[in-house]
Amino acid sequence: MMRRTIPTLIAVALLGFYLFPIYWMYATSFKTLTEAVQYPPTLWPSEPQFHHAEVFQKFSVARYFVNSIVITLGVTAITVVVGTGTAYALALRRNLFVDLILFTILLLQALPASLMVTPLFVLFNMAGLLNTPRFAVVLAVAAKSLPFFIVICRTAFLQIPRELRDAALVDGNSNVGVFFNIALPLARNSIVVTAVLIAIQTMGEYVYSRSFIAKIELQPLTLGLSNFIGAQQTDWIGIMTFASILVTPILIVFIFLQRRIISGLTAGALK
Amino acid sequence: MNRALDFVRDRSGFEMILIGLSAVYLFLFAGAPFVFNVLMSFQKVDLFNIASIDRPFVGFANYQKILANPDFWLIVRNTVVFVALSSVCQLAGGFALALFFMQDFAGASWLRGLFLAAWITPGYAIGQVWKWMLAGDTGIANYFLRSLHIIDGPVYWLSDPSLALLTITFVNVWLGIPFYLLLISVGLSAIPRDLYEAAELDGANAVQRFCGITLPLMRDTLLALVALGAILTLQQFDLIAALTAGGPVNSSNVAQFWSWQLSFQSYQIGLGSAVSVLMLLVVVVIASIYVAATRSERAA
Amino acid sequence: MNQVELSAVEKHYGEYHALRNIDLSIPEGAFVALIGPSGCGKSTLLRSIAGLEQISSGTISIAGERVNDVPPRRRDVAMVFQSYALYPHMDVERNMTYSLRLRRRSADLIAAAVREAAATLNLSGLLGRYPRELSGGQRQRVAMGRAIVRHPKVFLFDEPLSNLDAELRVKMRGEVRALHERLGATSIYVTHDQIEAMTMADHIVVLKAGRIEQQGPPLALYDRPANRFVAGFIGSPSINFIEGAVTADGGHVTWEGLERPLSLGRRLSAAQRVQIGLRPEHLAVATDGTMAMVVDTIERTGSQTIILGRCGGQPMTVIDHGRPVLARGDNLRLAVAPDHIHLFDPDSGAAV
Repeated sequence: MMRRTIPTLIAVALLGFYLFPIYWMYATSFKTLTEAVQYPPTLWPSEPQFHHAEVFQKFSVARYFVNSIVITLGVTAITVVVGTGTAYALALRRNLFVDLILFTILLLQALPASLMVTPLFVLFNMAGLLNTPRFAVVLAVAAKSLPFFIVICRTAFLQIPRELRDAALVDGNSNVGVFFNIALPLARNSIVVTAVLIAIQTMGEYVYSRSFIAKIELQPLTLGLSNFIGAQQTDWIGIMTFASILVTPILIVFIFLQRRIISGLTAGALK
Repeated sequence: MNRALDFVRDRSGFEMILIGLSAVYLFLFAGAPFVFNVLMSFQKVDLFNIASIDRPFVGFANYQKILANPDFWLIVRNTVVFVALSSVCQLAGGFALALFFMQDFAGASWLRGLFLAAWITPGYAIGQVWKWMLAGDTGIANYFLRSLHIIDGPVYWLSDPSLALLTITFVNVWLGIPFYLLLISVGLSAIPRDLYEAAELDGANAVQRFCGITLPLMRDTLLALVALGAILTLQQFDLIAALTAGGPVNSSNVAQFWSWQLSFQSYQIGLGSAVSVLMLLVVVVIASIYVAATRSERAA
Repeated sequence: MNQVELSAVEKHYGEYHALRNIDLSIPEGAFVALIGPSGCGKSTLLRSIAGLEQISSGTISIAGERVNDVPPRRRDVAMVFQSYALYPHMDVERNMTYSLRLRRRSADLIAAAVREAAATLNLSGLLGRYPRELSGGQRQRVAMGRAIVRHPKVFLFDEPLSNLDAELRVKMRGEVRALHERLGATSIYVTHDQIEAMTMADHIVVLKAGRIEQQGPPLALYDRPANRFVAGFIGSPSINFIEGAVTADGGHVTWEGLERPLSLGRRLSAAQRVQIGLRPEHLAVATDGTMAMVVDTIERTGSQTIILGRCGGQPMTVIDHGRPVLARGDNLRLAVAPDHIHLFDPDSGAAV
């Protein structure tokens, strides 16, 4: 009995220590200004204050939120629509051509956004796309998430046995029918989870939004946070409150889908 | 027309369309910009000619300017330190945690999964949290370290030029550990249990089992992970933007952030793309190592 | 008219030559087994008939129509797979009706077809279940049901029984055969198990390395194997091969100091070297036997005793239907029936 509970306690302690910054963000967001900067600091807010509603209203968080959602939905939609079929086609057979494409996709996945942002900015500027900056961000971020999505969903399609596809062909499907009637329903869960993962990442996207979206009215939450810091400098309570508004929905989704997100990630990274 | 339709429905036409969709998209928004970037790095690009196609070619002038920049070697050194130290520490930390979580105890895999909560939060937001924790006078980090008598007075983690780079590396390691933990755990659980049992019967102790079985069997996985970790660290932008923005005076600046600063803060886009091209070459090399390592892992 | 006709079919995968010059005619209503060791091309041949593989050259016709360029869905064939390949996201009824629904058959017709197939295969109580809720044998029957609701021109079976346990396999063997006799549909059945082929098929095709080694009715292959490979593949336990020679007069064969008359109705060239095939069931333990054997191992199954040993230097297996008292190292005398001696050319392996 002891042999099994002691490691659990150690693990909980490690996890608590590791996730302390997230706790500290929430703890600070509930403190009064004097308590926040007092030395020594208090680990638990002595008179919990609820700043979230005030910050939400005063700093037009709703508008930032809508922009984040618009960008996230756009990126996720493009990624899923364009990427799902490719992931399927690349899972059908293994040959030199497919290997070459997979290699290219892995390379594209590795290209840092902060390095690709310069040429994309100039190209989008020439194409007039910066007049619709949220759309420009969607296009750029989708190009970054598409390779990741393809790699992970491909492993889901690889798990569908070839004989199932053969049976469907003999039963009277065309290749198109096999994809829509057999492969898609069977890979549906993995596709949804990967899409959620892409959405979570897009909610936290910063580089492209910062570089493409000059108009405050069109900026997403991450830029809202950075604007807030610009205006309020050392209002740490406000900053932590704003940060927690951005982080909380992501954490909630993560906790609900933890197991599925983890198995998706591990399948994609090393296969 | 009918023949084209049959080609799609019964031959490889459908696959070609499916692959073509992504190929076109990625060509437009990743491949073409990649090539265009190389082109721009040989041009004079500034705010005045940014919208025109016809820009003066300047040969290697952009690269010469970059090399002549007094901070060039500092930033190269910073980048190497940031990437190398991050990869090594993330790997070591992730490996240690993964070995701990390989023990059979209640809630092991669930607790292990919760580590990922930090990895999944937006880097820019969690960067602000760390900035607050590391603040010199009111930060909780200094309070903890002073209560433990590790430091005497406040340490200015982010504004001391000799510490800033190490601090952002530390935070980056913190952020990356769960990812390593997860993938190393996958690698570890792929090693058959009976190998350890056989070794134990042969009289190998825990250290011998680790060096004789775990390490050799994990070699390719670890190589792949180091490359993958380097790639992820080279993509790190949000943390730096949140913590130091490369400062003070470039003491914590790294190439991927510098490239962005040149293009979007001093509007020397030609210079920004020259730095970008150099770094992208590095990324391509590391990504090739990663692909090669995952291949040999599969072959093994 | 032949229901399935293959002529000069070739299949290459890059360098690999999977099918070589296959000619095969399958009359309507026949039950044909394709057998051979793994990698012999039997599955590739079946998949080519289904249209799942493109052949490199030659022609395949089904019911008189050349189908080389016809996709699987238009060939009107049904296939039962080794893994059963049931659609995991459909229940039993939808699995069985899937092909009919794709062909937009009327609801009445579909319902009737399912009722009939379910009754035939004893699946009536399982129609609402999902494949994961079924046992191996039930899944196998659903896979059969999925094929028979369609009344296709040809049934294709790809080792459909090899995932079942031994007992169920024997039972299903009889059921598949009974089903074939009732439906009378042309069936092509791939297996690596020669007993399955012998007991179920009217016609057996033996393949090796992409080539047809011999084809014919089961007993013809057993009685008159065209070559060493077929002789060794058909029959269990396997036929014994020993080195021998034809006598000077050309009318007798000799090995291990024995001489037996040849009943070929022709004479062979004198002193020709031959390989002699003796089936274990055609050797008998007899005190007045003429061949000496030393016992190595005895396997008793109850109904028969399989004796493994050596004649001279050469390994030999014998089936005895009694329960002889024997031990390792014992010396036996074997009687050889002259009518059941097979002779093969030692170089080409062809029967002489």
